[in-house]
Amino acid sequence: MRVGVFVGEYLKETGRNLEAIAGYARNLPDVEHVRLLAFRQLLDPAALANELREEKLERVVLAGDSPGYFKPAFTQALADAGKDAREVHLASFREHGAGSPDSLERAKAVIACAVRAVPFSLVAVPKPAVVKHATLVIGAGIAGIQAALEIADAGKKVFLVEREPTIGGHMAMFDKTFPTLDCAACILTPKMVAVSDHEMIELITNADVQEVRGTPGAYRVTVARRARRVDPETCTACNSCTDVCPVSVWSEFDSKLSHRKAIYIPFPQAVPTAYVVDPVACTYVQSDGQKCGVCVKKCPLGCIHLDEKDDTVDIEVGNIVIATGYELFDARKIECYGYGKLPNVLTSLEFERMTNASGPTGGKIVLKTRKLNKRIKVEEFVADPEGPSPKSVAIIHCVGSRDPKYNPYCSRVCCMYSLKFAHLVREKLPQATCHEFYIDMRAYGKGYEEFMERIKAEGTRVVRGRTAEVSEVDGQMVLKGEDMLRNRLVEFPVDMVVLAVGLVPSPGNQDLERQLGVPRDSDGWFSELDYNGDPTYTERGGVFVAGMCQGPKDIPDTVAQGSAVAAGVLRSISSGYGGGDLSNLSLSEIETRARDLQAKLSPAGGGQ
Amino acid sequence: MTATVRVNPKLISELQSYGAEDVQNCYHCGNCSAACPYSSEPFILPRMSTRLLQMGLEESLRGNLEPWLCYYCGQCSDQCPRDAEPGATMMSLRRWLTGRYDFTGIARRFYRSWKIELAALIIVALLTGAGLLAYGFLWGGGNLSVFDTGGGQSAFLPAGAIHVVDWVLGLMFITVVLVNMARMWHFTMHAEDIPRASAGAYLRHALLFPLHFFTQKRWAKCDNNMPWLTHLPLMLGYLTMLVLIMFFLEPFQDGPAIDWKLHTLGYLATAGLLVGVWYAVRGRLKKNVPMYRHSHSTDWVFVLLLLAIVATGVLLHVLHRLGFGAAANLTYVAHMMVVVPWMMRFPFSKWSHMMYRPLAMYFAAIQTEALASQSPQLQGGAEDELAPVAEAA
Repeated sequence: MRVGVFVGEYLKETGRNLEAIAGYARNLPDVEHVRLLAFRQLLDPAALANELREEKLERVVLAGDSPGYFKPAFTQALADAGKDAREVHLASFREHGAGSPDSLERAKAVIACAVRAVPFSLVAVPKPAVVKHATLVIGAGIAGIQAALEIADAGKKVFLVEREPTIGGHMAMFDKTFPTLDCAACILTPKMVAVSDHEMIELITNADVQEVRGTPGAYRVTVARRARRVDPETCTACNSCTDVCPVSVWSEFDSKLSHRKAIYIPFPQAVPTAYVVDPVACTYVQSDGQKCGVCVKKCPLGCIHLDEKDDTVDIEVGNIVIATGYELFDARKIECYGYGKLPNVLTSLEFERMTNASGPTGGKIVLKTRKLNKRIKVEEFVADPEGPSPKSVAIIHCVGSRDPKYNPYCSRVCCMYSLKFAHLVREKLPQATCHEFYIDMRAYGKGYEEFMERIKAEGTRVVRGRTAEVSEVDGQMVLKGEDMLRNRLVEFPVDMVVLAVGLVPSPGNQDLERQLGVPRDSDGWFSELDYNGDPTYTERGGVFVAGMCQGPKDIPDTVAQGSAVAAGVLRSISSGYGGGDLSNLSLSEIETRARDLQAKLSPAGGGQ
Repeated sequence: MTATVRVNPKLISELQSYGAEDVQNCYHCGNCSAACPYSSEPFILPRMSTRLLQMGLEESLRGNLEPWLCYYCGQCSDQCPRDAEPGATMMSLRRWLTGRYDFTGIARRFYRSWKIELAALIIVALLTGAGLLAYGFLWGGGNLSVFDTGGGQSAFLPAGAIHVVDWVLGLMFITVVLVNMARMWHFTMHAEDIPRASAGAYLRHALLFPLHFFTQKRWAKCDNNMPWLTHLPLMLGYLTMLVLIMFFLEPFQDGPAIDWKLHTLGYLATAGLLVGVWYAVRGRLKKNVPMYRHSHSTDWVFVLLLLAIVATGVLLHVLHRLGFGAAANLTYVAHMMVVVPWMMRFPFSKWSHMMYRPLAMYFAAIQTEALASQSPQLQGGAEDELAPVAEAA
């Protein structure tokens, strides 16, 4: 059978070496004709039919990104040339894990199968490999916790590595979840405790993945542990050390709304339930043991070791789950909203901490007030529980999202958490007015639309129109925008502005990309193997993605992906095949298997 | 009100030849209108015009004053989250409106094809030159002198004659512009959904036209005042020159004993023109100011012709003063070859914005008053925004 291969791209110009791919196709058996198509080339079926006739082609293979775009013209051309119109075969790179321009070998393998008209998925089955039963989960937010628990509950060892001194991630900071208005801590903390108690989970907090070596199924990972300076085994969280610590710095966990000491526990339910020393703030550490050290003397159990040094742990695992989550978009970049300059312009996470009953204000929504920091003798704006409450609150959507100047993508959760905020404002401050300024309301999930209707009925003014400016005029914040459904320009005084900031990938992802060889997309999120079919696998065998690190998603989706990842990990362990990994299968092996399968499918011949 | 609404689905692609870009990108977040220093109810610009354009509502757009209220400071384009270039859209709408107001249809042709415009300009320039030469050779017997050089040879084409030509051409084109202005009034103030304004309202606001004509003071609302401050000398220099030529050509041109008052005014006007043209050419080349980022072919013709007029005018003056009679005469022919096409372009190009823009400011004030008296809630501003729905219900 005379085969023609046409290589082209439709979705976007990836810069992939199409010449090399075409060169490979030329040397395949039965291939008589290879031609490169221009990007989104418009094809004339009549001209194609002539080409097919001249080359006496009986089968056409269309290779590239979304090559189906070119298919109708070729089907028509084959029919016009008097051949079997069904003999148009697609070699789609993107759908078979060759989406990255660098995965040339995979792309060639996909073409080798299409030329023989055998399905790639039947040919490219990884060879059995020894898979170590332990798993490394990077990141202990809700995604990592869920994955770790699922795997550990199945009886397999999990190393759970967390950068912060406590597990829980962003969800631990939240007050309520949408759309059910459940208490976030009530869902998360039992899972956190389960992690700490689980005999199959080894928790390594205050640590980063330093180096990854080895191959799928057998990775050797070096984890760098920052010294905690408090022994978590003996610490009972009695708080004596914090009481005497003289140093006070902004609390990261409370989004810098309040202060913490240099020796502290991020929040009472932290896991491990142990204090931690911030070496940058600690007088003793900074003075090389010359000054302070009062906490050591005060500790009744003697579990504080201020001289403890950072160390590393080497572990061996079969699979790695990336669950590194996200960071917030830096709202300072959009100057017209005044974040960083106007004290009562808050980010969503700051507002979240403020409404949280265990937060710095005990759940009261208050305006920040000026307070003298006696230690550094500087006036600071702090959220004081006794502070005045706002009379009007405005929530601005899409801050840093859906804007090519910042992030072109939709951060997906902001609409819903903004509606949740509106509810909390109406609930806690019934006298205050609340406005939401949105572009498009994306209430896409189960119960979300109903939630939005509920919030509207509660008396929140939901205004379609993005706000252009928040400024201060004579000590009063003024917000300017357009209510575009009513064609009105609005300009009115507000006391508090909450910016629904978008989400961006964790800064550490760049390093992980290099260590693990898992590509990231143009926005910086980790790329899954296939968006629809393999949302938890990656191009690298034995490495999985779960939660936000793969792209913005809400808590239900994150938890679902955390569980899904466990299925893939457990499959690779119990089947003895490295998860989704073709790296132990060479191109020539794929070619041989394709030939064998072709012979099996059509005994009459067609192969060699 | 009639229910028929005429939609032109090809309006956006039509506007592209007037310089519109990326109009379809707009998802109506309202950022531009809120950021715009010129936006105030009932004129919500530039988003409303973008909407009308996207929906293809040609007739509403034709009766829309908003594009003329925009001075293209570029704040909207800077803040646009969709790169929809609302500022460029407003600019292209001003060109499109100029084409709509023009009853001859010439403006539309010029805007849509630079080739046609260039061909027309060259033909007029050549005809002018040929006319002058023919006159000199056939009737003047080879005397091409414009100036009385004092060497016994008297001018074949004295300033008095030129004056007559000026007036004839000027009146012709002013008539066209006046008709176009009447059409603008009809489209904008006589549209179906616009409340009729009383003669009193027209009288009350009458001073706005000369005010905006001479000062463009609304332009000062832009954060960057340079475009306004350089446009002002350009416009004033231009007007001065126009008055000098139209009314004082004989004393102004004849020399060598030109009245010092005219002399000083002429130099000042030239300086003003040079400042304005220099800023515009530099801006359009560097694209450092939002309003100069997207240049249409007609914009280039505008500044380059102006530059040519100033350059030939200055050269003519210098040569004449230094006593190079023949060279001055030849330069004079060249000068006329740019001045006449320039005058011809008046009703059909950017030139005419000097009438339309102040007129729009004037009409806008009248419309605002009429709308406010019709629907009092417009006067309330945004206060009702503060009341939550629950309490209102």
